[in-house]
Amino acid sequence: MTAGTDTAALAGRLRAADERGLNATLSWSEGTLEAEAARIDALRASGAALPLDGMPVALKDNIVTTDAPTTCASRILEGYRSPYDATVVTRLRDAGALIAAKANLDEFAMGSSTEHSAFGRVQHPTHPDRVPGGSSGGSAALVAAGVVPAALGSETGGSVRQPASFCGIVGVKPTYGRVSRYGLVAFGSSLDCVSVFGRTVEDAARVLSVIAAPDPLDATTVEAPPLAPEPVPGTLSGLRIGLPAEYFPADLDAGVKAGVDQAAAALRALGAELVPVSLPHTAFAVPTYYVLAPAEAASNLARYDGVRYGVRRVGPAGNLPALYRATRGEGFGPEVRRRILVGTYVLSAGYYDAYYQKAQQVRNLIAADFTRAFAPGGVDLLLTPTTPSPAFRAGEKTDDPVAMYLADIFVCAVSLAGLPAMSIPAGLSEGLPVGAQLIAPAFGEARMLAVAGAVEAALGPAREVR
Amino acid sequence: MAWETVIGLEVHVQQATRTKMFCGCIASFGDPPNTNVCPTCLGLPGALPVPNAEAIRLAVRGALALGGTVHATSVFARKNYFYPDLPKGYQISQFDQPLSTGGAVWYESPERGRVACSITRLHIEEDAGKSLHDRYPGLTAVDLNRAGTPLAEIVSGPDLRSPAEARAYLVALKQILVYAGVSDCSMEKGTLRVDANLSIRPAGQAALGTKTEVKNMNSFANVERALTAEYERQVALLESGGRVEQVSLLFNAATGTVKPTRSKEDSHDYRYFPDPDLPPLVLHEAFIEEQRAALPELPEARRARFEKEFGVSAYHAQELTSERAVADYFEETVRAGADAKATVGWVLGEAMAGFNADGRFAVSAENLAELIAAVADGTFSLQSAKQVYAAMLAGTGRATTPRLLGAELGFVQVQDSGALAGWVDEVLAAHPGEVERFRGGEAKLMGFFVGQVMKKSGGKADPKGVAPILQKKLREG
Amino acid sequence: MTIGRDDVLRVAELAELDVPARDVDGLVAQIGRIVDYVAQLNDVPASETAEPFQAGPDEVRLREDTPGSVPLAHGIERFAPEFRDGLFLVPRLGAMEGE
Repeated sequence: MTAGTDTAALAGRLRAADERGLNATLSWSEGTLEAEAARIDALRASGAALPLDGMPVALKDNIVTTDAPTTCASRILEGYRSPYDATVVTRLRDAGALIAAKANLDEFAMGSSTEHSAFGRVQHPTHPDRVPGGSSGGSAALVAAGVVPAALGSETGGSVRQPASFCGIVGVKPTYGRVSRYGLVAFGSSLDCVSVFGRTVEDAARVLSVIAAPDPLDATTVEAPPLAPEPVPGTLSGLRIGLPAEYFPADLDAGVKAGVDQAAAALRALGAELVPVSLPHTAFAVPTYYVLAPAEAASNLARYDGVRYGVRRVGPAGNLPALYRATRGEGFGPEVRRRILVGTYVLSAGYYDAYYQKAQQVRNLIAADFTRAFAPGGVDLLLTPTTPSPAFRAGEKTDDPVAMYLADIFVCAVSLAGLPAMSIPAGLSEGLPVGAQLIAPAFGEARMLAVAGAVEAALGPAREVR
Repeated sequence: MAWETVIGLEVHVQQATRTKMFCGCIASFGDPPNTNVCPTCLGLPGALPVPNAEAIRLAVRGALALGGTVHATSVFARKNYFYPDLPKGYQISQFDQPLSTGGAVWYESPERGRVACSITRLHIEEDAGKSLHDRYPGLTAVDLNRAGTPLAEIVSGPDLRSPAEARAYLVALKQILVYAGVSDCSMEKGTLRVDANLSIRPAGQAALGTKTEVKNMNSFANVERALTAEYERQVALLESGGRVEQVSLLFNAATGTVKPTRSKEDSHDYRYFPDPDLPPLVLHEAFIEEQRAALPELPEARRARFEKEFGVSAYHAQELTSERAVADYFEETVRAGADAKATVGWVLGEAMAGFNADGRFAVSAENLAELIAAVADGTFSLQSAKQVYAAMLAGTGRATTPRLLGAELGFVQVQDSGALAGWVDEVLAAHPGEVERFRGGEAKLMGFFVGQVMKKSGGKADPKGVAPILQKKLREG
Repeated sequence: MTIGRDDVLRVAELAELDVPARDVDGLVAQIGRIVDYVAQLNDVPASETAEPFQAGPDEVRLREDTPGSVPLAHGIERFAPEFRDGLFLVPRLGAMEGE
């Protein structure tokens, strides 16, 4: 089979997804698919090793590509065409992957529902009135709808694990520094991680192992041993898995609780020991995140000023400040504006110590919680729910930013600590997918993926949980 | 009332690197606009900075040359403000954890003699691009070739007490940084820039007055002029019962005046925070010591050694060490065997004609030493030697060493007594009247006869050989 | 409420963001809600000297001073809003002039 025969079917799936109103793609074209297929054919002819030979992969539209626009789902970058490819895109292409589409997202990856896209909200793949999660909702929906087997998203505070959970697929966030950020449009630089969606653990692991490598263009990448997928173990005897009390509050959705219990039971049946642990600073993760991420975002988004690229608007005064204010005021949507204002506020004179500096210190306490849990004599992995409830209805949380932020309560702390974690399907609650989250120590992806594979095999296809 | 001036300087120097601070673009001037640019220095979405090791190494050398303490850990921070030539909307700089703190520069104050100016800190940052305001009517044009070039900012303490001291400090600072190989420190090329803070207070008062910042000076002389103008402006304000406002002023070299700028409100809330794209800069002890060991002898030490080792005067030692290349040339010439005192004259005189803009001498130290030796042993007259030197500069003749070239061009002095006696006989025969008068007691005519012999010989006769022969022949008669 | 109308307008100016008059009250309420929410961090007992968290490597990796930057796949004129004679163009600086 050549990639050329794949593209017609792939185009058909993309078109069908668009036609049914999923709104998961921002750009794709048959011409690009054909060019990709031809490129892969040439790679094959050259005899190069192609670990992702012909695999279609969608990209969240905050990952820059030269052959398609990169908009970050923002008016301010409408029509922007990057003159360079992200490092992860080059790595995918060199491995023989076929870049299928650019996927919708919350504007500049700021959101938890993919309702904050300038180009319209993304539908949940099986419940159109609900959200697919966010901010990587378009990538998640394309994988869940069977359009592509895998997709890249990005995480700043759970933006892959949370939609993976909502959509019933696998979502893997690597250790901070494992994957290059060069060409990932920055949101919160100390948190941002290119992350992977897959229909299966194996697909996600294959893609992750291709993109995980130090990059001379990203000073925050770490020299780490390559990430080779491990075989799924037949037994987990000797493995200690922690259940942090703070992730199982009394008001946790019953279906979510049942799904995670089911994953825990599968792990126990495979021989793993389940241990209660405590991560006492968990409750401060969301407020810490909502100081640090906006602060970094306010600075990272200063470059969208209408001078060098993107959309330009000029206010009535006709001078430079009028250009800045109109371009940014009209170009950014409401959630991005809110975060820029909050981020500017917490960094401004007189407030830095009380907010930014304090949040950095609390971030250290949150990271120390995990360090203690994973210390020798402690646990190997942590198991938690990915989200407090399944996918919510569109519009349900758009009026209250803080309620929206709390949808990320179980995914945020991991991002702050820079650790690897993933969400795997763990049944359905009233027909809606539930995700179980595995959290590993830094650079512990290989074992985490192997254990996830064992859980996936044990649970089989998603079914209703009670 | 007597006023005391308090001046502190912020000096930016561009490290002599091949590439920019955070990307591999070439750091050069004069190329067509926006050609030395890449995703990083254009501030494109998704691009990231990676620091240039050489820019850091040179900044460390500069800090050590100024006697600063280089810190094991320093932190890159973002300075946030909007300006069209600042591509990312922030400048990567260092804030509360700079590369180095402390140090001092000794300089020759016109008023106070040899004094030290303390250095507060030295930190690394990136330059902005260039805004061109007069190219198109109503528009500002932006060239980002310069955006991202490395800079070391050197902040002095408020220790300078006059505009002339500010200038003298700059001269000394530049000498040190050029010696250490940090930068070429050219205000003309923009690789050294100065912002000056000035306040005045009644003499004897301890509290500082309100300071202003003066910018836009393009030479050390203009720094002095601008600060003098600002001093006079502040004195006039205070003496007429006014107040000094904390403002930035631009110097106008054409009028010699300073003018307050309309600065943007709130422009000083820079919202510094550690740059999350750049982990801390960690410099290991061994690296710092290696840089310290590699520092050349600095001007202050070299001046003292020249006086002691070569017996040159304090004035000449100062002149010789003002530029490292000149001092190196002097020292190499002496080491190649030339007499030190004669070499001073050559290096500070004739040889400067062969000192190129790129800081190199056209005639090698070995050749200059040979030329000086050839004068000492009488091969060339000093006059001929200068002509040989000029010929070497001009590339006249084929020979490549001074002695051979002098011979080729006919500058070798004739010392053969037969030939000299022949010229003497001809001269005496041609001037019987003068011979008569000399013999009658007019001893001063000896000079006339020597001159005539030199003329007859076409300048080649060795005057030291001519005199005894003349003496002998005149007495014989 | 820890944040008021003046704070929001000051911050909007620092961030160079136009805030239409009709949006100001809503924004003040939303920003106020967020800032009040994150202010709970002040309840965390963290020592003043606690080190800030460091994501990624402990020390920055440096690059050699050798020319070679990521090339541009297409010209600046393809993405610049106004580009003439190799220069980006913007309106004159108005109140910001003088640099």
